[in-house]
Amino acid sequence: MSNKAAKNLFIFGSLFFFVIFLALTFDTMSTLDKRAPEITEKVNAGKMAWHKYDCIGCHTILGNGSYFAPDMTKVVERKPAGYLKKFLMDPKSVNAKAAMPKLGITSEEADNLVAFLDWISKVDTNGWPPKPILAVAAGVGGGELTSGQKIYQAQGCSGCHMINGIGGTTGPELTKVGSRRDRKWLYEHFEDPSKVVANSAMPSYKHLGDQALNELTEYMLTLK
Amino acid sequence: MTVKYEGQKIAQNFYTFAVLLFLVQVLVGIIAAIQFMKPDFFILNFNIIRSLHINALVVWLLVGFMGATYYVITEESDTELWSIPIAQFQFWATVLTVTLVVLGYVWMGINPQANSLIMGINPLNEGREYIEAPRWADVLIVVSVLLFLFNCIMTVLKTKKWTGIQGVLLSGLVFLALMYIPGMFYTKSMVKDQFWWWWVVHLWVEGSWEIIAGALLAFMLMKTIGARREVLEKWMYIEVGLVLFTGILGTGHHYYWIGTPAYWLWVGGIFSSLEPVPLLFMVWDAFRTTREARNVTNRPGLFYTVAHAIFNFVGAGLWGVIHTLPQVNKWTHGTQLTTAHGHLAFYGAYVLLVISMIYVTLPSIRGVKEYNPSRAYLSFWWMTISMVFIVLTITGAGMVQSYMERLMGLDYVAVKTTYNFWFWVLRAIFGVGFLIGVGIFVIDYFKLGKEPVPVISAAPEKA
Repeated sequence: MSNKAAKNLFIFGSLFFFVIFLALTFDTMSTLDKRAPEITEKVNAGKMAWHKYDCIGCHTILGNGSYFAPDMTKVVERKPAGYLKKFLMDPKSVNAKAAMPKLGITSEEADNLVAFLDWISKVDTNGWPPKPILAVAAGVGGGELTSGQKIYQAQGCSGCHMINGIGGTTGPELTKVGSRRDRKWLYEHFEDPSKVVANSAMPSYKHLGDQALNELTEYMLTLK
Repeated sequence: MTVKYEGQKIAQNFYTFAVLLFLVQVLVGIIAAIQFMKPDFFILNFNIIRSLHINALVVWLLVGFMGATYYVITEESDTELWSIPIAQFQFWATVLTVTLVVLGYVWMGINPQANSLIMGINPLNEGREYIEAPRWADVLIVVSVLLFLFNCIMTVLKTKKWTGIQGVLLSGLVFLALMYIPGMFYTKSMVKDQFWWWWVVHLWVEGSWEIIAGALLAFMLMKTIGARREVLEKWMYIEVGLVLFTGILGTGHHYYWIGTPAYWLWVGGIFSSLEPVPLLFMVWDAFRTTREARNVTNRPGLFYTVAHAIFNFVGAGLWGVIHTLPQVNKWTHGTQLTTAHGHLAFYGAYVLLVISMIYVTLPSIRGVKEYNPSRAYLSFWWMTISMVFIVLTITGAGMVQSYMERLMGLDYVAVKTTYNFWFWVLRAIFGVGFLIGVGIFVIDYFKLGKEPVPVISAAPEKA
């Protein structure tokens, strides 16, 4: 191959691939709005707060960012909105071990951020992040679950609490909660957490009804 | 062998600024490494430290490219730079802008509310990774880059002596400047935000920067061993051509999971798997040329050049391709494996490239024929061995994270603070090793050509 041929290959080949890339970009842009919910003013205000505090300087979102703090793509599926709001405004008051500093996020900004995080959780990401194989298997492979366990799973309690290594670290660990708390305490706590634990960010589960709370309490008591 | 033109001496200003920013980058890198174990370690939070770490990196590499380009363009055109005052102005404007941006980050670190919107823009930090610089700084950077490109192109036009190396180098730089634009507008959708953001980030480091690397590689092989231009330029065209044939559509490997259509899984998977091919060509090119030529005029320069080619392939190529297929990336996306790839790729592809250019061109800028190369080698081994181990520890952490968090379902924080703790300790230790290497390099940079040459390096060298 002559130098001139190599040069022409470089120039025209690159242009060829760039044109294909532009065409794909054009097509992608026309589909993006259909793959995500509508962007309200509140969601946009949340995104602007996300930029203002340089959240991506520690966190990742859609898997991109700084790998220093948890990914935020599906965080609203793991944590209740009320918890997120309290945490954003003053992380260490909710979880003393939290690495996140108090940035001065206002109540309004926190609401907007939660709306933004709710929006991003509903974006069609081709199935990312995948559900952890072993955690899923642990829920379905160990024989019939008790009704308490089913409620625990259905309510997403493991988003904050950990049992035997599976679950979040933001709420207290429950692996041995049955040896720490009695039936009465547990039941009252489910009804109104902040009545039993001052400043608790956990929401009330009273709406589940008496029977469900009893079954959940029963499950907790088996954890020793 | 001193330089003929004043324009080539300008390169030294850029090199000096680059070298100092390199030192800053590594110092804040160590703070960041400690914050992985102790988040409250420093007065500035991790996000500010990391912004400084990656921005210092990008800026010092760009400034290094600019210095190298002023040198190469004047040498290849065989004429004086079109305007020396513009080059000097552009240099000081860049220094001023960068200083203001850094002060802005620090201010924001002390008072996050200082970044509240003013006339619709965040005045201190845009909160977008790698391109955190606020909009006013974007404008100043664009002005600086346009002045730089204008000056270089006018220089070439003055003599109408176009060489292949010049052409490819300048087209890489023009492409680089154009690809800054997609990062300069706001979109309400985070999906679109990240889509255009990758145009900047990916088409820089896996597009235009690799074109610049291809051109500079050819230039350095020509200078250090007197290899023939025709052969070098032919392979350069093939290499940079393959970089773009694979790299442009390879952008697709960033469009798997950000809300973009599923056809990107195919496009990105296929093309990005081929991205290491041109990098392997560059390694082969460096070895073939070195083997054929026996007349080595600048041994440390050649040494760094070959090392750059090898680590470009290993860091940008191999460490990228291991997790580029969607089937793998589904589990590893957003884990420490990306950090490991980022570290080795930037080190191999661009840090070693700019240092190579400094060793190839600085002796003639300083007007010396011989210099003591011992510190150049010493710093290379300190930096390279440390970086390899930094990358291995982060790779280990990434594997543990992928397995425990993504497969088993353990909590992110639990994995980070408990199971990966010793990886962070080791990474910080190797970080100090890297700092020692950088320190030796910085000392060598300032002393090169300014101290007597020991007799031994003047002795005939064995082939």
